[in-house]
Amino acid sequence: MSALRLAAALSIAAVVLAGCKSGGGFDLKNMDLGNVVKSVGNLREVKEPEEIQIGQSMTETLLGARPLFDDAQLQHYVNEVGLWVAQQSDRPNLPWHFGVNDSDHINAFATPGGFIIITKGMMKQLRNEAELAGVLGHEVAHVNQKHHLKALRKSAFASLLGEGVAGASGKQAELVKNLAGPTKELYARGLDKSDEFEADRMGVVFAARAGYDPYGLPAVLTTLASADPRDNYLTLLYKTHPLPQARLDKLAPGLTTLDAIKAPQNASRFQQYTKNLRVVTK
Amino acid sequence: MKTLLRLLALLAWLIPSAYAAETGYTLKATEVKDKPFLDANTLTTLPEKTTVEILTRQGAWMQIKTADVKQGWIRMLSVRLGSPDQKPQGGGNLLSSLIGSRPRPATTSTVTTGVRGFSEEDLANAKPNAAEVEKMKGFAATPGEATRLAESGKLEVKPVAYFDENGKPLKEKK
Repeated sequence: MSALRLAAALSIAAVVLAGCKSGGGFDLKNMDLGNVVKSVGNLREVKEPEEIQIGQSMTETLLGARPLFDDAQLQHYVNEVGLWVAQQSDRPNLPWHFGVNDSDHINAFATPGGFIIITKGMMKQLRNEAELAGVLGHEVAHVNQKHHLKALRKSAFASLLGEGVAGASGKQAELVKNLAGPTKELYARGLDKSDEFEADRMGVVFAARAGYDPYGLPAVLTTLASADPRDNYLTLLYKTHPLPQARLDKLAPGLTTLDAIKAPQNASRFQQYTKNLRVVTK
Repeated sequence: MKTLLRLLALLAWLIPSAYAAETGYTLKATEVKDKPFLDANTLTTLPEKTTVEILTRQGAWMQIKTADVKQGWIRMLSVRLGSPDQKPQGGGNLLSSLIGSRPRPATTSTVTTGVRGFSEEDLANAKPNAAEVEKMKGFAATPGEATRLAESGKLEVKPVAYFDENGKPLKEKK
C-alpha cells in the first residue's frame, strides 16, 4: 500500500464526508469506502527496533530545544532510578535512557522506545527519590502503552509509518528530518487526556512495585497544584496535561488501595545527588 | 575559597530549615489522626482553610502541627501548599524559593529574558542534536547498577496490580 494511495483514499473520504454533510449529490456507490477502511486498518504494527529508532530521532529534536544539564553524576543517578522503575513495567528489556535537560521549565517527556527527559526545573520541585520515581514512572507508562506512537499514527507522519520508513531506510538523518515537524507538533499539543490519566495510574504502580512510597507522584501533583498557573515555567506543562487537581481527583480512588504500603522515600540520597541544582548562580 | 565555604555552610543550614518551613492549608474539613492510619484515633477535626505546618510526609499522610494542634496526621490529598489568603506562589515549593536557586516565577513576560527554557517557542526553533543523544546514552545504567541502587536504598520489589479509573485492581496484564 503506498502512502500516496492512502493520502488519496483519505482525501476521497473527506470529500465524501463533506458531501454528505452539505447534502451534496455524491454517488456513494462509486466510492470505494471499503478500501479507505482497509488502508487505515492496514497501518502495520511498528516493530520494536523501529520504535526505538523513531524515539531516538524524536529525542534528537527534544534535546535540540535544550541540551542536557552538565552533571554526569546526577545524570547517571537518574538513569539508575529510572531503570529500576522501568524494570517493573511490561517492557523491562528496552534500552531505557534517562536525561535531565538544562531547562528551568517544569516538565518531563517520553519518546517511543524508552527515551525519557526530565527538566532541571522539575527536578528542583522534587523532595526525594520517591517523587522522582513517580515522575519517571509516569513517563515509563507512556512508553509502556506506546502513547506517543499511537499519537504519531494520527499525524502527518502516519503514512511514513505505514511505509516502514524507519526500519527499511535505515537512514537516521532522513528519519530525524521527517520526524522533526511531527515531534514539535506532538510535544506542543500533548497527548489525549485519557492517556495522561492512564500514565498517572500506571506510574504510581511502577513506583510502588519498585519499592518506593507510592505517594511520590501524588506529592509532586500536590506541589504543582499549589503553583500559579500563570507561571511561565508551567505554560507548556499546563497546555499539554490536564490540571494537577484534576489528575489528583482521577488518581484518588486507586491510590487508597496503596495506603497500606509503607516504603522509603530516600530523601537524603536524593538531596546529595541533586545538590548542584541548588547552587546559587547569581 | 572562603566565600565558597561560607556559601556551603549557608546551604547546609538552609536545606533542613527549608523543609521544616513548608506550610499548607486544608482544602476541606479534615480529621487529624494520632497515627498515619485511617482507623487511628481522631484527635480533632480541622475546618477548611486551616493553616498547617508540614513536619514530615509518609505515604498518604502528612504529619502536621497547627496553632492549636501540637502534632497529628492528615491526608496529603486534603492539603494545598502555601497560604489560604494568598494566591499560589509560583512553583509553590518553598525549598526552591527559599534557597533562591530558581529565578522568581514569571508572571510578566520580561522576567523570562535569559531563562533557559523549554517553551513552545524553544521547541518550535529546535534543531535536532544527535551528539546530545549519544551523550545521553553514555549515562545509561546497567541492570546491576539499578539493583545495587535499590539494595542500598532498601527498595523491595512488591507485587502491585494495575488499577482502573475506579480504583478496581486489573487482573490481566494491560
